[in-house]
Amino acid sequence: MASAATLLPPPSRPSNGETLQERSKGRDVRTSNIVAAKAVASAIRTSLGPRGMDKLMQLPSGEVLISNDGATILSRMNVLHPAAKMLVECSVSQDIEAGDGTTSVVVLAGALLDACSGLLAKGIHPAAIASSFYNAAEACVSALSSGSAVPVDMDDRESLINAVRTCLSSKVVSQDSDLLAPLAVDSVLGILGPDPGGATNVDLRDIRMVEQLGGTVDDTELVRGLVFDKGSTKTAGGPGKIENAKIALIQFCLSAPKTDMDNSVVVSDYAAMDRILRDERKYILNMCKKIKKCGANVVLIQKSILRDAYNELSLHFLAKMGILVVTDVERTDVEFVCRTLGCTPVPHVDSLSPEKLGSADHVGDVVLPGSGHKVVKFVGVANPGRTMTVLLRGSNNLVLAEANRSIHDAQCVVRSLVKERFLIAGGGAAETEASLRLRELSMETTGMDSHCFRAYADALEVIPYTLAENAGLKPIEIVTELRKAHAEGNVGAGIDVKDGCISDMYAKNVIQPLLVTTSAIKLATETVCMILKVDDLVVVA
Amino acid sequence: MSAPNPASSGLFINGQRETGQDVRVGNVTAALAVANIVKTSLGPVGLDKMLVDDIGDVLITNDGATILKSLEVEHPAARVLVDLAKLQDQEVGDGTTSVVIIASELLRRGNDLVKNGIHPTTIISGYRMALKAAVSYIKKEMVVNVSELGDEHLINAARTSMSSKIIGRETDFFSRLAVDAVKSVKMNATAADVAGYDAMGSGGHGGGERLAEEPTSASASAGGTTTGGGKKQRYKYPLSAIHILKAHGKSSMESNLIDGGFAINAMRAAQGMPTFVESSADGAHVKIAMLDMNLQRHRMGMGVQVIVKDPAEIENIKRREMDITKERIRKIIDTGARVVLTTKGVDDLCMKYFVEAGIICARRCNREDLKRLAKATGGRVVTTMADMEGNEAFDAECLGGCDSVREVRIGDGEMLYVYGCKGHGASTIVLRGANEYMLDEMDRALHDSLCVVKRMLESNTLVPGGGAAEAALSVYLDDYADTIETREQMVIQEYADALLVIPKTLAVNAAKDASELVARLRSVHAKGQHSQDPSDDGLKFMGLDLIEGTIRDNLAAGVVEPAISKIKSLRFATEAAITILRIDDRISLNK
Repeated sequence: MASAATLLPPPSRPSNGETLQERSKGRDVRTSNIVAAKAVASAIRTSLGPRGMDKLMQLPSGEVLISNDGATILSRMNVLHPAAKMLVECSVSQDIEAGDGTTSVVVLAGALLDACSGLLAKGIHPAAIASSFYNAAEACVSALSSGSAVPVDMDDRESLINAVRTCLSSKVVSQDSDLLAPLAVDSVLGILGPDPGGATNVDLRDIRMVEQLGGTVDDTELVRGLVFDKGSTKTAGGPGKIENAKIALIQFCLSAPKTDMDNSVVVSDYAAMDRILRDERKYILNMCKKIKKCGANVVLIQKSILRDAYNELSLHFLAKMGILVVTDVERTDVEFVCRTLGCTPVPHVDSLSPEKLGSADHVGDVVLPGSGHKVVKFVGVANPGRTMTVLLRGSNNLVLAEANRSIHDAQCVVRSLVKERFLIAGGGAAETEASLRLRELSMETTGMDSHCFRAYADALEVIPYTLAENAGLKPIEIVTELRKAHAEGNVGAGIDVKDGCISDMYAKNVIQPLLVTTSAIKLATETVCMILKVDDLVVVA
Repeated sequence: MSAPNPASSGLFINGQRETGQDVRVGNVTAALAVANIVKTSLGPVGLDKMLVDDIGDVLITNDGATILKSLEVEHPAARVLVDLAKLQDQEVGDGTTSVVIIASELLRRGNDLVKNGIHPTTIISGYRMALKAAVSYIKKEMVVNVSELGDEHLINAARTSMSSKIIGRETDFFSRLAVDAVKSVKMNATAADVAGYDAMGSGGHGGGERLAEEPTSASASAGGTTTGGGKKQRYKYPLSAIHILKAHGKSSMESNLIDGGFAINAMRAAQGMPTFVESSADGAHVKIAMLDMNLQRHRMGMGVQVIVKDPAEIENIKRREMDITKERIRKIIDTGARVVLTTKGVDDLCMKYFVEAGIICARRCNREDLKRLAKATGGRVVTTMADMEGNEAFDAECLGGCDSVREVRIGDGEMLYVYGCKGHGASTIVLRGANEYMLDEMDRALHDSLCVVKRMLESNTLVPGGGAAEAALSVYLDDYADTIETREQMVIQEYADALLVIPKTLAVNAAKDASELVARLRSVHAKGQHSQDPSDDGLKFMGLDLIEGTIRDNLAAGVVEPAISKIKSLRFATEAAITILRIDDRISLNK
């Protein structure tokens, strides 16, 4: 394919607005942008697909990151070129919109840019390319939505799990997908509530991920309740587990009141010393008694920066009363905790009342196998809110962090299905189908659209091409075979990476949400068009 | 077709980027470098490493995990191996050197395969297949179920684990010590533990692994997972209850185990205190108060100012400050405590009350030690004396009980020995040795052996050591590879060869003819596996005899390891190798 550098000499015929006549400056800027953006795409294309490889990144802090997730790699890579940054952001927005397909969107954008440089070399005006590409993207999306997409019901857990498994197959944790796929599906279905059919979106922040080092990824579990990432505070003894727990979340401090900065308590009499000591004890005891009186046997204490949220004395009293204490609850977690346990945060000791308490069947410390760390677990919550907790395990920090990202992607897949309830074949089937439809369309149209559609259709094949290449297969052979299968009407034909051949993806259960593919096509096209339209780069120092 | 240009030129990032084969070679080289460091310390005749840090502190050790932990490894791939050794140490406790050696060998062979044009993903799936086959083979063929674990099995396992260590000369003595120590802390597993174990048993493979988790916490509610035999009463052996104290001086053979006793590294606070207290004639135990609070002159908190107008008040206030503490001490003494230990300070002025009452008081004790002592004696560590009425009182329930407490002079320091603890089991091993480096190394060696004994007691299964398991697996995997029709065949063959690195290294370290010994070992195992004759069945236990330089039945010779440790190290090593092989791009960002 000709590169932009070998641009045709400016045509002498009169311009009709579709051919490009411009200064060399714009050409250079465009070329440099395209080259920079393509470099980003080629940097991560080896991590596409189930046989994709990982990237090892050493961050400036010395921290090491091993990842396969496009958005993660790119956002940490610190690319300098502004056009390359656009591609990074495109991947990030795919992450926000669909959560999965963050590598595909960048690879696709790279291929589209490559197609552009060919079209530009022929002297086609960038604006004309851009508008044709928009049309092409729309045509693809409608072809996919109407043609090969299969509607899915949120009650169909099996299909959901298959879609998630496809997403997980490319991750480091792929061998644990039997455990993690149902876990991701159940966690999202859990926060959807009893009527999953009615929801149009879900907030994944309602799923709390608790990372705990030690054990292996297959020790990961889904907790319908709450897990704190540390054990209960037992410096003064106190219970480690409570049955039929009544839980109070307090926001006041269980410690002696502190004077203001400029004030101080003045002692002028030795008897006053005893009084101070006794009053301090009484004061704290009083608070503890009030907590006990309202029926709480588990107390969660919010972290405080103003003064100690608790002290030895209060822990001692609470321990004596048989109350389990969890300290240092983060302010930002309070809302989540309250919704999960169905309790109301108590800002002052006097506003404690039994109806503000949450209740759970069992609250207790659990020793995690492997590391020996303790976490507090709340199970059997009486009137739970729609929240879920995933307790993640992993043998080292790298695996743990990557598992977290992978599960997030998996949950995003379910979310995409909540948003748009269609599934489509994976393994390059969708892209090949779109490419075929687009090629047919290009036969029916004339002019610039026809020409650009064809280039766009070619570019779409980068996904099956890369998949095959990463899997160690012969890409040309596979892609042409795939094209043939689709031309014969086999809509589900895709690359079976495991067996190294073409087979029906629906039969192999390699399926993905329609939203992931359509959003990737739309986002990649928009980014490419934006890069195309730039003809000047002004650096403002 | 519009495949993007693979050349990565033009990617503007603030840092360096390496891709493809370069990265793989770099990673493998770094990992091999790490493995080479520990390679010579494998086996009974392995040598030690002396590590000197930047302040000149010296560490002499033979333990893979300790060596790697002390190295400041910069290369990220090499760090994966360091983490691997750490993980093995945490989860199994022994076999840290071999796990690193196997992982590096797998990497080296994986890299060669890539050079020969095999796609890394094929290698990864091949390794996974091989691992699966190997683990199931160990479980099916190699494992010897010991229905009733005799002491000799335990001692043999402990001996095997410590044979490579500095105490290898005195294995008879130390293996006995380790076995006795672990047995002395036997506890009935709680219902929760047993339930957890049952769940794991049915969970098949992954579950079996969790057996080996260490109940490091002292929580009685869910203190980890363990088992005795079959459906009988199950036991657990919390290693945290075994306290290892190091005192230099005398020879290592004079190390001893105080059964049911606990030693704490503290001395009497004042000379006037007795050195020995014991249960009175009527059978009342010696009561121990364990405090986590200050018995010094009471000071008012922040924000409280003492301003006096009358000079006479100063005296009153000073006296009151003293009296507050004095009253506390009085209350403690009144509960009948004969020994008072605190993590914080005790005012010299307060000493006299203890001296008068004939109480042993020690200050600045280690808080963790006190917590363990509290568990061992059935008491509680007291942080504050406030009672539910807002007054101060000392609750007699917090006192721990024991038969006697004695201050013993060991080396040039004093220690408090608490005999006959009345709570949960606890034992103390007092290690003696010529110098501190030796003591530290003995501690590490003993730790490994304790882990091994514990695993054996919990899992009741063992495999022969001395390269026997690896040789058998290698032969088996070679045969298994022939049944695979895909490209993975080559990879599995390499995996089989990679396992031989263990017997090879063992032989090399023992200055024996490695090639010949390994060849003989393999042929014996091949004969055992292919023969239909049941009398050849025992051949699978053949391993190396590194002293004589021959082959022998290691099961009979008592060179054994817990099966769980073998399976885990294979699994960890393979996972680590895969993690590194999956990487094809390395990006280092600048600051």
